[in-house]
Amino acid sequence: MNAAPAITQAQLTGRHKADEQAPIRIAVKDLNFYYGSFHGLKSINLNFHDRQVTALIGPSGCGKSTLLRTFNRIYSLYPEQRAEGEILLDGQNVLDSKVDLNELRSRIGMVFQKPTPFPMSIYDNVAFGLRLYEKLPKADLDVRVEESLRKAALWDEVKDKLKQSGMGLSGGQQQRLCIARTVAQRPEVILFDEPTSALDPISTGRIEELIEQLRSEFTIVIVTHNMQQAARISQFTAFMYLGELVEFGPTTRIFMNPEKRQTQDYITGRFG
Amino acid sequence: MSTHIVSSYDTELENLRRSISEMGGIAEKMMTDSGNALVRRDVTLAQSVIGADKRLDAIQHEVEERAILLIAKRQPLAIDLRETISAIRVSNDLERIGDLSKNVAKRVVAIAEQIQPQKIVIAVQHMGDLVQEQLKDVLDAYASQDIKAALDVWERDDAIDALYNSLFRELLTYMMEDPRNISFCTHLLFCAKNIERIGDHTTNIAETIHYLVTGTNELAEGDRPKNDASNYATVTIPASA
Repeated sequence: MNAAPAITQAQLTGRHKADEQAPIRIAVKDLNFYYGSFHGLKSINLNFHDRQVTALIGPSGCGKSTLLRTFNRIYSLYPEQRAEGEILLDGQNVLDSKVDLNELRSRIGMVFQKPTPFPMSIYDNVAFGLRLYEKLPKADLDVRVEESLRKAALWDEVKDKLKQSGMGLSGGQQQRLCIARTVAQRPEVILFDEPTSALDPISTGRIEELIEQLRSEFTIVIVTHNMQQAARISQFTAFMYLGELVEFGPTTRIFMNPEKRQTQDYITGRFG
Repeated sequence: MSTHIVSSYDTELENLRRSISEMGGIAEKMMTDSGNALVRRDVTLAQSVIGADKRLDAIQHEVEERAILLIAKRQPLAIDLRETISAIRVSNDLERIGDLSKNVAKRVVAIAEQIQPQKIVIAVQHMGDLVQEQLKDVLDAYASQDIKAALDVWERDDAIDALYNSLFRELLTYMMEDPRNISFCTHLLFCAKNIERIGDHTTNIAETIHYLVTGTNELAEGDRPKNDASNYATVTIPASA
């Protein structure tokens, strides 16, 4: 269990409060997901609000990572997996076969549990996607790399060693490098799949602080097994169990006074 | 409610509940004893009430420390968090109820030797009986998490305020009638005020029960019917000729 970092100013001033009026960025409609014959997600209906952090919680195997993986169709790497229903990103169904996957994935970035830096320099890690999709002059590329590293709260630590390998950084730094690489694409949505479960409390605190800052620009969805982390950093929480969405609502309500018995049992550590 | 995966967590919450129930028992007895001591002018009984307050204070500290430790160790959520916070709040109210009963007992010692108009002492006792019942009911409601019973206690505080108000006027009249009554009546007035304050603490506990069960502070935020007009009461002394 990671220790809680100090309360941020945002939490004190109430900027942390769920904004239920915020426009809907992603609308999941009647989504079903199959791993071969296994029914992994059962008729999920869920909205994700613009520039809010939504946490997906639930026991292992409940489908929260599966749900996350449908948003950018990363599951399509595996032929036996398929999704049915609709996931509307700004009104456009991302499950539509006409959607360009590369474009989709630049609009919906993803950060994984284990840091996944490429075996190349810090600079090249961040510039990688930019070189692929945008032909920027060197000076502009430099600006974007610095901007991204700053947004990932890593710039001060790496500005003097941009040519060194990204693999040489600490675990927490590597994770922030991956966030910088994601942010560089200027996505609309960032998906985090247990981004701090492999990190120590200090690195965890930095990432949590970072997510709070990133919220001003991006819509964020995070899968976490750390209940206190979900309570600290998210505005909305969805509790899933056995492939179904059990309860969704503002985080403060879910953690103080959940409506469903199953939710209460899970978050209070009573699940058998 | 099903049990926690970690069984020692259940034990810790159970211990908090047990301490609150012990505190409730002591506070209730202190209140009854101080009332009886007042009516019977029983100084020995009054002294025992004064002595009992130490134990109550000690358990309150214990509850607070254990609740803080539980928050640090377990980071409770939902019902567990509400129960932990409620234990802190209720133990605080019960500790205050003990202090107020102790204060009544001290006054019993002070006025034991004085002439006491029995009629007005009975009136204070009657008010004490009402609050006593409130305290008993609210402690039962807390133990059984019975929100309906808690609401009932909360609404009944009105009657106690009204009674205190009429007692206040009655005591003022006695004092005006004969200045020799002043010392005794002033002590009695404080006794009545203490009892009225105990009533307020029982409504606090009722509000905590509401929070514990529903997770909202609606009851505490809403306006409880207040019928205590003594804040504004005055008497006019007729000018002597």
